[in-house]
Amino acid sequence: MRKLALLCVAALPLIAQSAAAAAPDISGVWQGPYTPDLTKPLGHDLPYTPYGLEQFKNVVHANDPTSYCLPVGPARAIQAPMPFQIIQSAGTVVLLFEYQHTYRLIYTDGRAHPEDLDPFGWFGDSIGRWEGQTLVVDTVGIGGDRTWLDTAGHQHSDQLHIVERFQRIDADNMKWTVTFEDPKMYNEPFTVTLPLKRKDTVLMMYSCEENEKDRKHLDAAKQ
Amino acid sequence: MKFHFRAVLVGIAFALTAGLPLTAHHSFAAEFDANQPITLKGVVTKVEWMNPHIYFYLDVKDENGKVVNWAAEGAPPNALYRNGWRKDSLKPGDVITMNAYRAKDGSSTVNVRVVILPDGKSFFAGTADDGGPKGPAPVKP
Repeated sequence: MRKLALLCVAALPLIAQSAAAAAPDISGVWQGPYTPDLTKPLGHDLPYTPYGLEQFKNVVHANDPTSYCLPVGPARAIQAPMPFQIIQSAGTVVLLFEYQHTYRLIYTDGRAHPEDLDPFGWFGDSIGRWEGQTLVVDTVGIGGDRTWLDTAGHQHSDQLHIVERFQRIDADNMKWTVTFEDPKMYNEPFTVTLPLKRKDTVLMMYSCEENEKDRKHLDAAKQ
Repeated sequence: MKFHFRAVLVGIAFALTAGLPLTAHHSFAAEFDANQPITLKGVVTKVEWMNPHIYFYLDVKDENGKVVNWAAEGAPPNALYRNGWRKDSLKPGDVITMNAYRAKDGSSTVNVRVVILPDGKSFFAGTADDGGPKGPAPVKP
């Protein structure tokens, strides 16, 4: 019996390796179409609650967090017009973004979201699992209401919950499906799908703070 | 270093045909006015090949002969680099024409779309798919 137990323990790394090897390979550099306005791929307006509509009607573009070079948030980073790189390892999928030179960590080791979420988690807490050829990512705790869903000024509350599906189609194509759920801002969840294509490029440096000049014009334009 | 016309033109063709997006930093409509296209001809005085957008400056004589220095915002340098631009593609002293859109705040700031060189060759320098008007700004006669 003891020998059997030892054998099982010894086999655990092999099982883990096998599970990692079984996951589809989506590593590499990818880019989707720039999506500054989620209503465009959606084909209709967002299902605002009265509060959400009020927020959107009164949006002040000078307050866009990215105008201050603040973190862009988990989904908007993929909607950005710059490539990102996926790195896979056992238990973690890492997304490295050229835009803002930032990253996301998606834990695929079976853990749950922590009960005590990071109150400053601009990118939230992401956990993922593989469903066949698809990486399903669940994200909560996205820094209160500080990020925006897109450049058009669609905002979210601290109740935002995002589910993404990175579906591998072939070596050079993925389908990214993202569902936004935020009962404070939107009456019902809404889902946007974008194609991701493999890019023959390497990530370059990007520093928003380097020579930011837009904010003063944005502030002046809102007068 | 000479201007890489061929590379730039190939890059422009690629950008236009593939609809390559070029900016993410802010909304076009929040800062620039799609109803205020402007054509400016003058001498490049300074180039800032920097993130989040390149900026270059142009001395332009107005109707009274007074020189006004205009600031032109273009795409992020990464996108321009992938389209064939290099840091020295545009240099102080170059005489260029550009069509662009004015900033809403009334300052001498524009969002550049197309730069036209003295020999008539042109290239896209701006921000496709940023929510601004598609294609180059109309050139005023």
